[in-house]
Amino acid sequence: MTGGQTQRLNTAISILSIPLFFLAWELVSRSHIVNIILFPPPSVVAVAMVEWVRSGQFAIDLAVSVYRVVIGFALGASAGVVFGVLTGQFQLFSSFFSPIFHILRPIPPIAFVPIVILWFGLSETGKIFLVFWGVFFTVWLTTHIGVQKIDRGLIRAALMLGTPRRRMLTEIVLFGALPYIVVGLRTAVSISFYTLVAAELAGAFAGIVYRIEIAQQNLQTGQVMGGLVALGALSFIADRGFAAITQRLVWWR
Amino acid sequence: MTVQLVADRAKVESDEELAVVEIDVADVSIVFDTPKGQVVAADRVSFQIMRGEFVCLLGPSGCGKSTVLNTIAGFETPYAGTVSIAGKAVTGPGPDRGMVFQQPYLFPWKSVRSNISHGPSMLGKTAKEARAIADDLIAMIGLSKFADAYPHTLSGGMQQRVAIARALANRPGVLLMDEPFGALDAQTRVVMQESLLSLWAQVGTTIVFVTHDIDEAIFLADRVLIMSAGPGRILRDLRIALPRPRSSEVVLHPSYVALKKECLDLIRAESLRAFEQQAVR
Repeated sequence: MTGGQTQRLNTAISILSIPLFFLAWELVSRSHIVNIILFPPPSVVAVAMVEWVRSGQFAIDLAVSVYRVVIGFALGASAGVVFGVLTGQFQLFSSFFSPIFHILRPIPPIAFVPIVILWFGLSETGKIFLVFWGVFFTVWLTTHIGVQKIDRGLIRAALMLGTPRRRMLTEIVLFGALPYIVVGLRTAVSISFYTLVAAELAGAFAGIVYRIEIAQQNLQTGQVMGGLVALGALSFIADRGFAAITQRLVWWR
Repeated sequence: MTVQLVADRAKVESDEELAVVEIDVADVSIVFDTPKGQVVAADRVSFQIMRGEFVCLLGPSGCGKSTVLNTIAGFETPYAGTVSIAGKAVTGPGPDRGMVFQQPYLFPWKSVRSNISHGPSMLGKTAKEARAIADDLIAMIGLSKFADAYPHTLSGGMQQRVAIARALANRPGVLLMDEPFGALDAQTRVVMQESLLSLWAQVGTTIVFVTHDIDEAIFLADRVLIMSAGPGRILRDLRIALPRPRSSEVVLHPSYVALKKECLDLIRAESLRAFEQQAVR
């Protein structure tokens, strides 16, 4: 086979991949090998999703979940960048904050759910706090590393050109660290969805993951899987959207 | 005795009319603290460079020539001795001394034009003035087509030309160059050397150029200061009286061979000595 033929074959297979997956799923579900109630076929899932959207409940669930992720992410990311710049740039800040952050960081954010419920009850504050907590440490660490890894040659070049030390941060350091910060932010996008799941499972009154849990209690397995599909799609769109934004953020690449 | 003194003073005065000392390196010693103890990188180094002169610091690798340059730049503080520029003691890096490093160290997030205008705008020039300065220099280095390009899209030689233009943008009295063409291929190197000379002829800045390449030093310089290794000292102050403007044909000049031989002999002896020192350690 020539290189061109191999490429065409691979393209064809990749186009067929997902339809074949759904077809196999449909066949297995309807074949009585598995319990159709517990393992509904994609057609049933699709019907459940249409029903979800029609009832108007989907819009509310989506809005509530997106709100929690966006607010938690924005707060965690801003605090992470600010502290990362401070600890990366000023040894005194690093000596004080880095040890504290390093002992808190390895604790999985999900493990904070019980204490967060005690502190904030089932309020929105608690859910936003969990997302914030998950996002903060990742963004802090990558920003800190980014600031520390700036080439000394760039700093020397800036000094030689008369850049005042007080403007070094805004003129040189932030831009030099930006590629690292952006990687941290993108990782934090997926972390914010993990923590959203934990926050909504712990007790909520609306939200995509809340809907999954309610449907599970009512044995509406089609709705459960529909929720998973919606969550996957949302997370996928957030990641891709963010990738597009990051290309603009690091515009010189 | 008195007569002698008067005569000396007369001589100094007549020299001063001809030339002003731009860089004065006086008894500079530089010591580094390493885990294995203190290392003397430069030992009582003294030399003067006149305004508008092109001087090469030549020596084997590790002889401390870059350290001496970094001290003039203000990045290193001497252990003893002083460096002064136009009579003022150096206390740190500053825009009166432009520097070109081994790597271009261009700001990757800035276009060619913004890299060059960075210095002037830091010194309080308006955006319009800084841009005009940058555009003039871009034309001088022949990169007008690339004014809006980002550094990573340029070749190594082009990047280094932008770095030279950036270092000149503040109109510094002194341009310090630390093996700026060391990372370039041989052909690009020759082109860069020739364009540096023509650029120098236009701006007239005092240049201190560090290199370990004998041909490069002789081709470029008015004077070559040959340094010894471990600890760094000035071995010889060699005047290069080859005619200017120089082209690559300068190697055919009769005195070129003699100058090169003198450099070669000194550097060879120094390299051998440094090698043996390392072997003993």
